[in-house]
Amino acid sequence: MISVKNLNFSYTRTPFIKNVGFEVKTGEIFGFLGPSGAGKSTLQKILTGLLTGFKGSVLVNGEAIGQHNNSFYENIGVDFEFPSLYEKLTAYENLKFFASLYQKHRDINTLLSKVGLLNDANKKVSDFSKGMKSRLNFIKALLHDPQVLFLDEPTSGLDPSNARVMKDLILNEKAKGKTIILTTHNMYDATELCDRVAFIVDGNIKALDTPRNLIMKRGASKIAYTYSDSGREIKMEVPLNKTSEDETFLRLIRTNCLLSIHSGEPTLNDIFVELTGRQLQ
Amino acid sequence: MRPLFHCFHIFLRQISRDSMLFAVLTAPVLTACAFRFGIPYAEVLLCAYFDKVSILSGYYLLFDLFLAVMTPYMFCFASSMVMLTELDENMARYMAVTPVGKQGYIMSRLVFPGTIAFIVSVILMHFFSLTMWSAPFMTLTCFLTSLLSIAVSLLLVSFSHNRVEGMALAKLSGMIMLGLPVPFFLFSRTQYLFCILPSFWIAKLCVDGNLLLTIPAVLTSLLWILVLYGRFEKILS
Ligand SMILES: Nc1ncnc2c1ncn2[C@@H]1O[C@H](COP(=O)(O)OP(=O)(O)OP(=O)(O)O)[C@@H](O)[C@H]1O
Ligand SMILES: [Mg+2]
Repeated sequence: MISVKNLNFSYTRTPFIKNVGFEVKTGEIFGFLGPSGAGKSTLQKILTGLLTGFKGSVLVNGEAIGQHNNSFYENIGVDFEFPSLYEKLTAYENLKFFASLYQKHRDINTLLSKVGLLNDANKKVSDFSKGMKSRLNFIKALLHDPQVLFLDEPTSGLDPSNARVMKDLILNEKAKGKTIILTTHNMYDATELCDRVAFIVDGNIKALDTPRNLIMKRGASKIAYTYSDSGREIKMEVPLNKTSEDETFLRLIRTNCLLSIHSGEPTLNDIFVELTGRQLQ
Repeated sequence: MRPLFHCFHIFLRQISRDSMLFAVLTAPVLTACAFRFGIPYAEVLLCAYFDKVSILSGYYLLFDLFLAVMTPYMFCFASSMVMLTELDENMARYMAVTPVGKQGYIMSRLVFPGTIAFIVSVILMHFFSLTMWSAPFMTLTCFLTSLLSIAVSLLLVSFSHNRVEGMALAKLSGMIMLGLPVPFFLFSRTQYLFCILPSFWIAKLCVDGNLLLTIPAVLTSLLWILVLYGRFEKILS
């Protein structure tokens, strides 16, 4: 569905996006994960044909970016990082206008009600809160029922319940066989939603795999426990698959002497820090 | 074509909802009336007062030229204001990822208004000009002034970051019109100091009546458009 080969791009003279290549299959949610300024939005802008002047080959939905014509966008839905809406028009008028640009579109009121904006349909967008704008901006990308979705931080600035609604909508699109590129800072969202993620740092892909594999590669999960030994608190760690060999641990369990115990799975964030030496947020 | 017309429709809707822009569009009609009826009357009064045969009538062509420039200028100013708002709201960029496309957006915001401005200025000139114009020559002049105003429009959107800056720059961009009176007052070679201004060549074309002057008039406008378009395209992505 999406194929990127030897992609090079820069806003300036110094190279920025260097030799990036990856494939995304139909029906997959593919995540871009990386710190601020890594080039995630830049990559999305290249994939959607907004930035020209790149080197390499980019194929999206069977069309080569650079040679695509405007009907290509009938099947592309884009949710920019920042809202792109007519502030002086109401939510409904906005969607009505965007719907008029496409050959087919979904029912506007159904979409509005899915993100809880039906009651605000006739309110001007300038009177919307940040989260309301994000939600409206998101359904705008779904309006023409596109095959490929590019979502740039769709859940940022949303409260947990609205973020949940949006994540369910994303999963719903995936269930319908849509291909989705999802940019996020949030490792939990990435772990939950993405089939595969690419770690992007300084315009490079540092790692690319399923969240599960990335986490597994770091080695087994661990159990951390504490107990008291002549008044001193002692901290111990044991890999989950070696607990039966840890005599201290077994003895503590038998004698009910454990002070605390928790299993520690590495998160995508840990993997990210380990592979790139950088923090996600 | 359909997305393009819907995109143009939302453009018209924005202008009609903005009283300032709506007023801007009526300005050429008011100016045309003021020129057509006010200036010959002022001429009569002035000539009687100073006891002369003609004072302003030698410059009637210049007034006509101002009218020919003003209509497209005002239309393109309104267009620039809408585009600046759209840039601010990220709409200009978003259009590029819809079936409208980047080129379609530019068509609907520059070429369509330019074409309408051309038609309106031909009509206004036909009814309100102070001197006699042949139809082809008037059409040519209005075409050139419309081309020029597209350049002005690009200048406004590529160098200002919001409407306030755009309005300030619009006043400055009046400088581009400075070429109009040059052939009327400067007769020596110093007039060619203004040769990068399309307005200078338009005025010279009308004063000299030499059709060959169309070439520099078109070329200078295209040069401005080309340079500014490059800058604007970067802003759009
Ligand atoms: N239009 C532009 N002109 C020049 N440089 C730009 C432009 N847009 C982005 N950049 C630069 O490119 C780099 C990557 O920006 P980009 O927006 O792709 O980052 P990002 O990974 O999306 O970050 P964030 O997570 O903060 O959104 C930054 O250093 C930024 O300054
Ligand atoms: Mg970004």
